[in-house]
Order: sequence, then structure tokens, then C-alpha cells
Amino acid sequence: MMPEKQTIEQVLFDKGVYIGPTVGISMLPMLKNRRDTIVVQAKTERLKPLDVALYKRGDAYVLHRVLEVKEKGYIIRGDNCYTDEQVPEESVIGVLTEFFRKNKHFYCTDEKYLKYVKRRLKYYKPRRFFVLCKSYVRAGIKKVLRIFRIKK
Amino acid sequence: MKIKKGFILRVVGGENVVVPVGELSKQFHGMINLNETGAFMWKFFSEEHTIEEAIDALCAEYEVERERAAADVQKFADVLIQNAFIE
Repeated sequence: MMPEKQTIEQVLFDKGVYIGPTVGISMLPMLKNRRDTIVVQAKTERLKPLDVALYKRGDAYVLHRVLEVKEKGYIIRGDNCYTDEQVPEESVIGVLTEFFRKNKHFYCTDEKYLKYVKRRLKYYKPRRFFVLCKSYVRAGIKKVLRIFRIKK
Repeated sequence: MKIKKGFILRVVGGENVVVPVGELSKQFHGMINLNETGAFMWKFFSEEHTIEEAIDALCAEYEVERERAAADVQKFADVLIQNAFIE
């Protein structure tokens, strides 16, 4: 009956599973900052492409998707990110197996979820192109406004 | 007595786990594991209730002796207070 408090690493080490809140925007639109809940199992075997890895980057914990499995690690990227990252095997401590989006419970084996993942990856290039264009347009507008202000 | 807003009780693999959400997750990291009685008490104290009401509810739900229910509720309430989970 007594509630007990533990850290992510302690929980993964002691219980083999961590359940906690999401932090950050890198896995949008799937996981929203501090709204959703993740269920991460301790890593027992090498991860596969499309798995979502929990890994340590310095003191921070990062939850991003595996794109490629390399000999000594992984190529990983967040669903809402536009740069890939090389992560060594030893930095990966867990894998996402379930999550609660708002109050809906999803398993990472659900067909609906896997469809989302495949769609997200399929449209990565057009999305990146759109985001890049948007940032160029924004930068251009800022530049024009700055020139306009100087002339005034 | 009422538990602060910002905690969500999730059931994962048959286990009851309380996790923080929103602003509260900035102050509190980790998870709280509860057994069935703990989860019942957690849900009960999600609304404003007194310890006496909780003892009555626990007796009605689990058919336990009042003395034992009182000890369990007090122990649970103490943990909530110690960890600042109360509004």
C-alpha cells in the first residue's frame, strides 16, 4: 500500500519497466510534452528499426525512433526532428512498448500505431522540405522587415 | 484531504501506477506503484474526503475490520502528507 519513489534508471534496473511522463516535443505528434505517459521496458536484446529507444545523452534521457541498426549502435531520429543521430549500443537503456496518448492506451505492436509510424517515415522528406521552406520564408520576411525598418 | 491535481492513475499490465503530468511532472520524477487497496484509496482521495470517510469506504469495499482499515488509511494518508501529494 505504501507508494514508493524511484528514478528512471533505478526503476529499469529493479523492475525492468519504467512508466512516466513524456518531456519535450521531439516525438510529436505521437507524444505531447508532459501530457502523455510512456511505458519503457529495459533493453534485453538489440533494438529493431521503428522501435523507439530510450537512451542517455549525457545526463539527459532521450526517447527517439530507431531508423537503422548498425554494428555498434543505431541511427536514431525523433518523429518531429530533422537530423539523425548516431547512438552507441551502450547508451540505449530501454525500448518503448506502450504509451497513453491523452487517455488512450496504445501498444507498440498495434496495427494502427505501426501504420502511423510507416506514414510518418514515408513523408519525412516532403515534410523536411516544407519545414525548410517555411524557415527560409520566415528568415526572408525578417530580413525584409529589418531593411524596411532601417530605411524608415 | 484531497490529492493534488496533476497525477494520473494508469493500469499497465494489471499494475496500478501513478504518474505526474503537466506542471507537476517538473517537480516530481518517477512513478508511484500502488496495490489494489492503494489504488482504491488514491481514487477516493482524488476527491475531497476526510480520513473517517475513507475508513468507512474501505470497510464497505473490502469488508475489513474497522481497526485495521483505520491503520491502513492513516498509513496511506501519512505517506501522502510526507510526500506533499495533498493540496
